[in-house]
Amino acid sequence: MELGLSSTSDNSVQKLDPRTKLCLLIAISLIMVGGKTVGVEYILRVICAAIPFVLLLTVRHIKSALIYVMLLGLSVFCEGSVIPNISGAPNLILMILCGIISRFVPGYMMGWYTVRSTSVSEFMTAMDRMRVPYFITIPFSVMFRYFPTLGEEYRSIHDAMKMREIGQSVKNPFIYIEYVLVPIMMSTVRIADELSAASLTKGLCAGGKRTHICQISIKFYDWLLMLGSLVMIVLFFVF
Amino acid sequence: MERKFEIKDLITAGIFTALYFAVTFAVACIGFIPIVMVFMPLIGPIFTGIPLMLYFSKIKHFGMITITSVIIAILMFITGHPYPIFIFCIGAGLLTELVLKAGDYQSIRSCVLGSSTFSLWMLGMVIAFFFGFRESYLNSLVDGYGQEYVDKMSEYTPTWVFFTMIAMCIVGGLIGGLLGAKVLKKHFRKAGIV
Repeated sequence: MELGLSSTSDNSVQKLDPRTKLCLLIAISLIMVGGKTVGVEYILRVICAAIPFVLLLTVRHIKSALIYVMLLGLSVFCEGSVIPNISGAPNLILMILCGIISRFVPGYMMGWYTVRSTSVSEFMTAMDRMRVPYFITIPFSVMFRYFPTLGEEYRSIHDAMKMREIGQSVKNPFIYIEYVLVPIMMSTVRIADELSAASLTKGLCAGGKRTHICQISIKFYDWLLMLGSLVMIVLFFVF
Repeated sequence: MERKFEIKDLITAGIFTALYFAVTFAVACIGFIPIVMVFMPLIGPIFTGIPLMLYFSKIKHFGMITITSVIIAILMFITGHPYPIFIFCIGAGLLTELVLKAGDYQSIRSCVLGSSTFSLWMLGMVIAFFFGFRESYLNSLVDGYGQEYVDKMSEYTPTWVFFTMIAMCIVGGLIGGLLGAKVLKKHFRKAGIV
């Protein structure tokens, strides 16, 4: 499993509370997607873009952190010095591409970090403490667990299609979608059944209060980061 | 058939919401091209209708669609859409719930209809271009994407387009639902999954 709510919790020193991560995630995606690139909001954008990089370094995902910085740097460079010098269709395409990268990639990386560094148990416990009802938390944790599987399934289907030499030869997009989507849907049904069997075994249906052994608590730097993201959101709406 | 709401239903809701969201996201990525953006409410539901129909066929209890719509609303809000997305998502979810309930969660016809009512949540994605949100949203796009892009966007989206988008959602949802029903019939009924 490459990513996804990891089943084992890592023991890095700077362990953030899931609630802090959520706070940061909301702040980053609000500011990066909707923000302007002038004045105070420019500074906010720089801070927001830096947060996922630092956090990825703390969990020692140096490769993805570097890729992230390179991608972001490239798109900022293009926006700054390439786009004003060209015009017409290439300008529009490059503009849209860079716009998407510089807006969505930081939020996406933050989400990736959140999912990657939080175990299902920690997530559930934190949500429980926030008094989020279980009929929201269970689908949510299942969902985050399922996204990476979806990618894996897609790659296997792609490989299988290549092996049988179909794929490139399919010109009709509807046929292609059918070839990809139907196997994915098949495996989705199977995985749903398997997961509910697993949850039955774990006694999720038994009712009663859920217990846990993971330690989560809001520490000093959690308060600091939460306060920071709150300040950023307030600044973002004021300006 | 048991009538109780179970953990199994929550897991089904989670998994199919993930699938639905992934397909929506893939389709939405091509929606950045200005002219495609306008037809997004038509194109989107056609593709998302296929997994949605499979999900509908798995629904046996009241409330699952509402949960899906709440989750989509939260995800969309986190990925930077304005707050009206909550109203649209949850409204569309409840409406679909009623449509499915009317068919007793069995009839294919109400599933197809439900696919079109559920697609109405996509209006929440494009609401930023219309009414009170228009000016500020377009202004915020200017320094991100440039004046040229914004001019194109505002040219394509006068207010009346919003009402055609409602129609597009419904028609797209119907096409998607019918397509989904066809796929289910062709592949899944034979395999005994539905």
